[in-house]
Amino acid sequence: MIEVRNLRKAFGPVRAVSDVSFRASNGRITGILGENGAGKTTTLALICGLLRPDEGWVRVGPDDSSPIERRRRLGALLDHKGLYDRLTARENIAYFGRLQGVLPCLLERRVEDVLARLDLARVADRRVAGFSQGERMKVALGRAIVHSPAHVLLDEPTNGLDIPSVHGLREVLRRMRDSGTCILFSTHVLDEVRALCDNVVIISRGRVVAQGDQADICRLAGCATLEEAFLALTHREVVCS
Amino acid sequence: MTLSFVIARKEIRDHLRDTRALLSSAFMALMGPAVVLLVSLSDRAPGQDGARVFVGMLTIFALVSAFAGAIDVAMDSTAGERERRSLIPLLLNPVTRSEIVLGKWIAVTAFALGAVALNSAALVAVLAWAAPALLAARADQIAMWILLGLAPLTALGAAANLFVAVLCRSTKEAHTALRFLAFVPMLIGMFLVFFPSWTGRAWFVLPIVGQQTLIALREPSAPIAASVILALVTLVAAIGPLVGATRVLSRDDILSA
Repeated sequence: MIEVRNLRKAFGPVRAVSDVSFRASNGRITGILGENGAGKTTTLALICGLLRPDEGWVRVGPDDSSPIERRRRLGALLDHKGLYDRLTARENIAYFGRLQGVLPCLLERRVEDVLARLDLARVADRRVAGFSQGERMKVALGRAIVHSPAHVLLDEPTNGLDIPSVHGLREVLRRMRDSGTCILFSTHVLDEVRALCDNVVIISRGRVVAQGDQADICRLAGCATLEEAFLALTHREVVCS
Repeated sequence: MTLSFVIARKEIRDHLRDTRALLSSAFMALMGPAVVLLVSLSDRAPGQDGARVFVGMLTIFALVSAFAGAIDVAMDSTAGERERRSLIPLLLNPVTRSEIVLGKWIAVTAFALGAVALNSAALVAVLAWAAPALLAARADQIAMWILLGLAPLTALGAAANLFVAVLCRSTKEAHTALRFLAFVPMLIGMFLVFFPSWTGRAWFVLPIVGQQTLIALREPSAPIAASVILALVTLVAAIGPLVGATRVLSRDDILSA
């Protein structure tokens, strides 16, 4: 379970996150939905311990933990472009496995398992320099989950991906959800939320304006569709009938 | 500490595949000995009596090679990491910022040591060709200079290069900054060639100054105690830039592209 309470974070005069509280449960996919600049990525960075909150707290798993311990419990994919081009897919994934403290006797098996799950086995020993966007995303996801984390964070994971890659990623996420993993991902794509999310947290201007399942959100806004509800909740001039 | 070695191992493996950067470092390491070899082959070669001129020229190039022999690795593993957006994924692991800096420093130092080894081998070869009598007379001093002078200087140079490079957002920016930094040992070395008396008696507590003075000493026996102190001072001086690099890496704005 991931829980955040009253998170606030400012960069100088700019308030990126003003008041964010929500809970993401195990075995469910929770989507953080918001416009560009709403505070989604900052919220994820605060959860990972990359940034220190000005106020509020974050809990990943059953108890309070240091940012380092939190990162051990998390598999996070905040950017799928940042691979090491001169290393192979296998080496990229194994490197992160070592950094996550996977024991050497288990590492090879874990890497093989991830390569198979993400359908990367045939390109495992190629340098990633020539990989397609979809293949790069899979390698980046493989790095994030090589230590079999119970919590997975993804920041706009389908950005720039073609339809088969998006489909493949969704399948992987559903399988992880079904095995009990707590998945939290941010997006500004409504289709993504409709297709995947069990719960939705809508963030606007650094604040949570609604949360619940999709039906709850529509009911709260008094709208028939999630799109209308999102607009009504984030742009108050839109009124649903 | 273990994670620092994991990072160092990855950086070494990664950069051993960067052929262009390796060639660039090798070229930089061999440039000094090649220039001196050309001078020794020319009509204006100073002959055995003027062989000390060769040493003066070689040492300046050697200082630069030790201090800046691995700037490509320093650039790519810090500013390059930000530029290709692999820094955030790295920071998402349960690794402290100081472990990251330490790992990268070990890797940069290893490559700089390689550059010094190449430079020293070429330097000895050139002296054996152009000034065999001088090489025979000062073999001990040269060996001590390499081991206690140049080798520790790689650690300080690696730390200084990392600190400057981690402040930069792109490899282009880092390239410009580090080229300026490479002038530091060159300028100090050249200054001391023309004003050797400036160093004073406490030369061995000043990195770079100490290295240049150590090779220029004319005493028949090399001062071992002073050389050991110089090595230790040089290594300790590396801590400052490493702490600075760790602090830069801990700032919030390091996450912005």
